[in-house]
Amino acid sequence: MRIRRLLYPFIFLSPILCILLSLYWGRYPITFAEVTAVLLHRLPFIRTPAVNETHIAVVEIIRLPRALFGALVGGALSISGAAFQGLFRNPLVSSGMLGVSSGAGFGAALAILLFTQKSFLYIFAFTFGFAAVAAAYLIGRIYRTTTSITLVLGGIVVGSIFAALTSFAKFVADPYNQLPTIVFWLMGSLASAQRSQILIAGIPMMIGSAGLMLMRWRINILSMGERESQALGVNLQLSQLLIVFFATLATAGAVSIAGVIGWVGLVVPHMGRMIVGSDNRVLLPVSFSLGASFLILVDSLARSITGGEIPLGVLTALVGGPFFIYLLKQTRARGW
Amino acid sequence: MVKSPLISMHAGTFAYSQENPVFEDIGFSVCPGEVLCILGPNGCGKTTLLDTLLGYHRLQGGEILVEGKNADRMTARERAMKIAYVPQNHEKTFPYTVNQVVQMGRAPHLPFHTGPGTDDLRKVEEVIKKMKLSSLKEQEYTRLSGGETQLVLIARALVQESRVLILDEPTSHLDFTNELIILETIVRLVKESHIAVIMASHVPNHAFYFENRRVPVRVALMRNRGFSHIGTPGEVLTQKTMAEVYNVEARIISYACGDDERPLSHVVPLSLKGES
Repeated sequence: MRIRRLLYPFIFLSPILCILLSLYWGRYPITFAEVTAVLLHRLPFIRTPAVNETHIAVVEIIRLPRALFGALVGGALSISGAAFQGLFRNPLVSSGMLGVSSGAGFGAALAILLFTQKSFLYIFAFTFGFAAVAAAYLIGRIYRTTTSITLVLGGIVVGSIFAALTSFAKFVADPYNQLPTIVFWLMGSLASAQRSQILIAGIPMMIGSAGLMLMRWRINILSMGERESQALGVNLQLSQLLIVFFATLATAGAVSIAGVIGWVGLVVPHMGRMIVGSDNRVLLPVSFSLGASFLILVDSLARSITGGEIPLGVLTALVGGPFFIYLLKQTRARGW
Repeated sequence: MVKSPLISMHAGTFAYSQENPVFEDIGFSVCPGEVLCILGPNGCGKTTLLDTLLGYHRLQGGEILVEGKNADRMTARERAMKIAYVPQNHEKTFPYTVNQVVQMGRAPHLPFHTGPGTDDLRKVEEVIKKMKLSSLKEQEYTRLSGGETQLVLIARALVQESRVLILDEPTSHLDFTNELIILETIVRLVKESHIAVIMASHVPNHAFYFENRRVPVRVALMRNRGFSHIGTPGEVLTQKTMAEVYNVEARIISYACGDDERPLSHVVPLSLKGES
């Protein structure tokens, strides 16, 4: 217990460390001293050697926004995944459970087919992601009571419908331009992260995550099952709706720009459980931090291993898998 | 002095489907410091009846009054401040610590966006001590035995500070000693805190146990969509009703024990009816 407490500051500081680290990390030839100079040159009272404009661009316009965006995406996906696992009382559920990723995937594919401007892609991905969850929620409510199992089933049904639609979009896409764009988008990437989009997509991610943070103790209670949480005074429908709404807001914000990034919203919460236990009061912020750090590190790898970029969705599993097994061994699956 | 009931049901009727009501026209009331033992064979509708009291199902006819107020018009939160619940089958999904589980009982007293504060934690601490759970406090409740789990869930209900406690077959999976520990805990709670207890059970002797321990208790025998009998254990649990309701040939044994002027009673089953 006490060792766990000592870990907290490290866990909560880790995203900042990872952001710093990623500023020094990349394929563009720029030395440690040069990056440090760029970082310091905006601070008052510190004399730095003259800073190269290109270096400023690399650090401040390319690497920093991308790291910040990665932190938000990783955090948003992980906190939503943790919240859904608690709400649905099912450790195998992830942030994409209610079809948000499949919906966003189809929205993006459709936008790629119909338009050439990129901004439509983000809007379509976000809207379809949200629409998919709304549909899943309505299906879940067909049956009179609010059983979460029907909600999960609704998510699976909606998810597979949108997956089929995405396949159809690929089928009709122009195989030289549109098809590769769709395929790459579906594999996820932070490469398109620019300051303006980060601001726009950052808002839903932050509102969603903040909403889940407010409700994190309620998730403990909802995870006791419906009869018991009702007997503990919880307004089932309202709480369920709020949690689904906030989690979807956060996830849709993330996937609409970063594409479909699997694994993070499923496994990072479990890493959190192994380290700090199941109490969602602690688990949710810890999942956010771990997810943020994890995605920054994986993205730094993705953009530096080879000359081209490796899709993020590929690396999250390749890097996360072995790390998860290592954690499993170290903690002897404590928390389970 | 006539005590006013904490919880009562008047002409309660509930059905999942129109043609086939689970129960009809049920009425009862429970006063502070009193136990109502709802007995009946499996599947007679005990749990459904409790569900309507908890607000999980809505009555189709009749009404429930809690501390004089119509329960139908209460929010889940208002109801939870007056009624606490100990479930029969608690499904454990996540390994919360005992402390964390008991804390959840504070939920009705808190707005949706906050967790328990220092005041709440102090109350949790008190209940944990009172329930003798201090040594288990930091343990994962998924690793507890059935009896310990039941005590933790009772502690969670006590932390709610409601005056009505509903227990659904609280001893159904417990061994000989743990069954007694739970019953003894209920006796202590009723005597010390003057709460009203409604307990579903399939063991007729539970009712006699409360009577033997000098707790005011009434028994309701549930059968054929209603209470076929309601009254003191001595009135309700007879050779005749055991045969009718449970299809069991039984004897009621009463004997004096120590200097007690009141005899202790037990139901002793002999055989299934018609097979001896």
